[in-house]
Amino acid sequence: MFEIDIFTKEGFKDSRGEHVLSDILGIGIKGVKKVDYSPFYIIDGDINKSEAKTIASELLSDKITEGFKVGFGTQEKKSKNPIIEVLYKKGVTDTVSESVAKAIKDLGITKDVKVKTGHKYYLHGNASQDVLNKIAVKLLANTLVQEYKIK
Amino acid sequence: MKNKTSCRTIEILNLSDKELIDLSAKNVLSLSLDEMKSVQPYFRKLKRNPTDVEIETIAQTWSEHCKHKTLTGIIEYTEEKYSKKTKRTYNNLLKETVFKATMELNKKWCLSVFKDNAGIIEFDAKNGVAFKVETHNHPSALEPYGGSATGIGGVIRDILGVGLGAKPLANTDVFCFGNPDTKDSQVPEGMHHPKRIAKGVVAGVRDYGNRMGIPTVNGAVYFDDGYMANPLVYCGTMGIIPKNKIDKKVNSGDLILVVGGRTGRDGIHGATFSSIQLDQESDVSAVQIGNPIVEKKVLDTMLKARDLNLYRAVTDCGAGGLSSAIGELGEKTGAIVYLDKVPLKYDGLVPWEIWISEAQERMVFAVPPKNKKRIVELFKKENVEAVFVGEFTKDKKLTLKYNGHVVASMDMSFLHDGIPKPKRPAVCKIKEEKVQKPIKMTSADLSKTLKSALSDLNVCSKEWIIRQYDHEVQGQTIVKPLQGTDIEVSGPGDASVIFPYTSVNGTKKGVVLSNGLNPSYGKINTYKMAASAIEESLRNAVAVGADVEKMSLLDNFCWGNPNKPEILGSLVRAANACYDMSKAFDIPFISGKDSLHNEYSIGGKKYSIPPALLISAMGVIENAANTVTMPLKNDGNKIFVLGVTRNEIAGSVLAKIKNIKDGIVPVVYPKESKEVMKRIYKAINNGLIESCHDCSEGGLAVAISEMAFAGDKGVKVDIDAIRTKGKLSAAEILFSESNGRFIVEVIPENESKFREIFKSCVFAEVGCVTEDKYVIFESTKNKIKVKEKSRNLLKAWRNTISW
Amino acid sequence: MKKVKALILRTAGTNCDYETQAAFEMCSAVAERVHINSLIENKDKIFEYDILAFPGGFSYGDDIASGKVLANEIKNKLGDKIKKFSLSGKPVIGICNGFQVLVKMGLLPEPKLFEQVSTLSYNDSDKFECRWVYLKTEKKVKNESNCIWTKNLPDIITLPVAHGEGKFIPVNFKLLEELNKNNQIVFRYSTRNGAIPEYPLAPNGSVEQIAGICNTKGNIFGLMPHPERYMFALQHPAREGFDGEYGWGKIIFQNAVDFVK
Repeated sequence: MFEIDIFTKEGFKDSRGEHVLSDILGIGIKGVKKVDYSPFYIIDGDINKSEAKTIASELLSDKITEGFKVGFGTQEKKSKNPIIEVLYKKGVTDTVSESVAKAIKDLGITKDVKVKTGHKYYLHGNASQDVLNKIAVKLLANTLVQEYKIK
Repeated sequence: MKNKTSCRTIEILNLSDKELIDLSAKNVLSLSLDEMKSVQPYFRKLKRNPTDVEIETIAQTWSEHCKHKTLTGIIEYTEEKYSKKTKRTYNNLLKETVFKATMELNKKWCLSVFKDNAGIIEFDAKNGVAFKVETHNHPSALEPYGGSATGIGGVIRDILGVGLGAKPLANTDVFCFGNPDTKDSQVPEGMHHPKRIAKGVVAGVRDYGNRMGIPTVNGAVYFDDGYMANPLVYCGTMGIIPKNKIDKKVNSGDLILVVGGRTGRDGIHGATFSSIQLDQESDVSAVQIGNPIVEKKVLDTMLKARDLNLYRAVTDCGAGGLSSAIGELGEKTGAIVYLDKVPLKYDGLVPWEIWISEAQERMVFAVPPKNKKRIVELFKKENVEAVFVGEFTKDKKLTLKYNGHVVASMDMSFLHDGIPKPKRPAVCKIKEEKVQKPIKMTSADLSKTLKSALSDLNVCSKEWIIRQYDHEVQGQTIVKPLQGTDIEVSGPGDASVIFPYTSVNGTKKGVVLSNGLNPSYGKINTYKMAASAIEESLRNAVAVGADVEKMSLLDNFCWGNPNKPEILGSLVRAANACYDMSKAFDIPFISGKDSLHNEYSIGGKKYSIPPALLISAMGVIENAANTVTMPLKNDGNKIFVLGVTRNEIAGSVLAKIKNIKDGIVPVVYPKESKEVMKRIYKAINNGLIESCHDCSEGGLAVAISEMAFAGDKGVKVDIDAIRTKGKLSAAEILFSESNGRFIVEVIPENESKFREIFKSCVFAEVGCVTEDKYVIFESTKNKIKVKEKSRNLLKAWRNTISW
Repeated sequence: MKKVKALILRTAGTNCDYETQAAFEMCSAVAERVHINSLIENKDKIFEYDILAFPGGFSYGDDIASGKVLANEIKNKLGDKIKKFSLSGKPVIGICNGFQVLVKMGLLPEPKLFEQVSTLSYNDSDKFECRWVYLKTEKKVKNESNCIWTKNLPDIITLPVAHGEGKFIPVNFKLLEELNKNNQIVFRYSTRNGAIPEYPLAPNGSVEQIAGICNTKGNIFGLMPHPERYMFALQHPAREGFDGEYGWGKIIFQNAVDFVK
């Protein structure tokens, strides 16, 4: 199982992160200074690391504005700051995962893979555990269909 | 019928009343005691207990969402006016009001009304246009994004499933939300904040509608605290269909083909859920997530199959899933279905779950055996899954099999007609309305009030929402939801016009879409709310150039708990208004839907929503180019107000801003209004009108200001010249919300021809377009002068919603 | 005379194919909407056509990123043929999602390279927006650019945009210089008077307001705005048009059809 994390390269605008930050300020939470947004993909199947890297570079990341990190199991970009991770609950339709699985086949990697997609938000600044939970529940995840972890 | 079939037998034959109620509650069946007691004798006759598949099938088929049993049931209505009581019994409310008017009007150009998934009227000699509006309220409260997305996805499937399938041309959306500025602490426990709901709902409609390639061209948003925990999400779709594809008929022996998405546990009990009140513990599996691309593929392929005549009937899987779709198609023939053949998203579903799942993006077709191979190949070519799951029989029974075993076997007649008719009392005490004390305001106060009205949540620009929708995809939106005289400034269009040139080669015709909604009138008087909504929808359409003789209406009632007599009574009143107005305007209803039980509990106390009747209007225009927009066009042109301004302030934006309690809710005068509407169509087609705007929320002051800033122009209006009934103060004239009024701009050279057309109507020249870009309202009689830069008014209107 | 034939490539999620077909037909070409599966089955069929169009929409839901999944599919399954078609000098256009596909598979800015060296990223506003914009076609473009699609246009035109990911970013400054030097930047967002605009007239934050580019040879054209939605005056918000009748899209499509003739 590989986890591929995508992040915005230095010098490019992270519109989604900025939008989340303004939403956080919008619900009256102070202390958070910056949010970095990072989508991630969990690829489960009989593929090797070089194939995973191909998937990351050719498919999941943008060659100009984004970088990626491929690792076994789950992982984060090194961060002292808290991360809120959001994933769909089991059984909830994840439409992106189906497209990724199709695109991997188009790349010429014909092995069957299962894909899960998720979102990570790296928060900079000060936020207590309570505040992080509030941000997760009020803005980032709908706990009816998604689950979140604070790391 | 044991384990190997994964289905259980449910003991009901020997249950007491209390046990029957418990059983219904425990299994989320939403069946009443009366209904449970009608199930008992049927199975007693069969000398066996039902299976879980059978009981779930009955619950779905008899659900409020599928059967609309409240309004098709018996209603004993009492009306009290000035302490005089009148009584009337309805055996089927809508049939005796809305539908009755349509039957009596009996328009030749109504091609299919109240029987299929959408209403269809004639477009031209070869084509019809279909229109349907649905609600998706409860799911949107819990999961705003998924809820609204599946709402729009569902109504698009209604259009795909009308006749043998129509091609969608436009979407509409109307929302009611709580106040987005509500303090966090005032949001009920376990509910999302109204702003989050609003953003999520808009995003859901955006992502689904945009991906489907259907422009969302018309809508409205209404904010009121009463919708905080129970938002309303109305989604509509209009489509075009060849006249020879309107009829469908299932033959015995036709194969049942399921096409599109796979079946999972999505939305199980969604149909029954729609008639349960919302509270913190609402059933979570009722939430569905849609996949618009799957539906887009179904759309692309099924219209090809339609044109090759590969199937005889089609319907969509909506509430109740396969059970409703196949049950409906096979009502007259009977059907056998092999549930193990239904393609699943994942393992582990038991037969009843497969049968009632509301997984999205599925359509059911009746295919003659000879086309078996061709139709599947056609779908396969574009990667659309299509699987035969059974066939229509001639035994008039519903038979379900799983792994070779029969898991359900019931008569279609019992399923469709076995439901007992409930009886409900309804009462309505008509409140006496009285004119408020004269509203006196200084010029400064009027200026301030005008800006407050323009920035009011229910008047302000909805640009933030509208621009997120691709309202121009397909290239056919020739009167757009936002209108200006160039591409930079834009004001609120009254209606949209679709010019279907890519679907109908060489056509000149257009389709106009508009709506009317005003719950604030309904808080006082639901009859007037309904009448006003009907007139507003017509006014909006007429303002862009619709032919009022070629209009049709859709009703969508969203009401509270109908078990409360006064709530049901207010609905009866509104339904009566629909009948009266439909007859008086000579305009038929062609389709409708109701959503009842919009009730929620906070801290154990139950609240019903403010009743909301959305009226959607669709009309066919002979020449799509003969349409106008609302921005003022040229300096020196004359401004006329058509219609009479009355002292009607109750429920108005002014009443809200100034907290005025008394007043009269606007009345509709159909005879007066229709004359004006007919003449506007004539004047527009003779090229006599440069711009036209409907006058509604916020009255003349708001409507005229909107025309000015949308056109980046100035305007000077003489308040004393406006025709009124009775004596009104300047504030009352400017902000009264009387029905039947339009503001039009006329070139001086056209004035005499224009006056000639309207000579039998009440109207007056009230001012002119000026080059100084100031909006001025003046009354020498009352020594009033309101003067504001039109750019400043634009700012007030534009800046309320920007998230 | 033989009719000019245009291929409109569609797949799951394509949704501007009908109006693009209508646009070519209004310029008296024959246009066919062809599903990618049938082209993959019969790859050489592409050479029966004179013009290749990648229409707008949300191919495969724009999952991962706009146009990405389709670009990946085309490159891996039809790459050689598409490249050959493009290098032959026949007109190719990518509109909105089609532009995203061209850029992400690397057919633009240079088909010889056939590698992604620029991108169309998320709008600065982080949301999908549908509105009309002014486009500056620049004098030198008309006189010196090779772009066959944009000839005979005035300095400033208007077209609608409708996208969430339209921010053009080249890989580096050198590429930007080259695009400028070769007159490949054929459309830039502009004010009514040709000045540099701010949001919302600059709808997405593109580098140097880039709205559309072509290859050096000038036969391949990609743009975020939708010329197929402005073929006739009635489609304009204020119903403006040239000769009282047509929209600027008419000139763009007619240019390609005339070029083939």
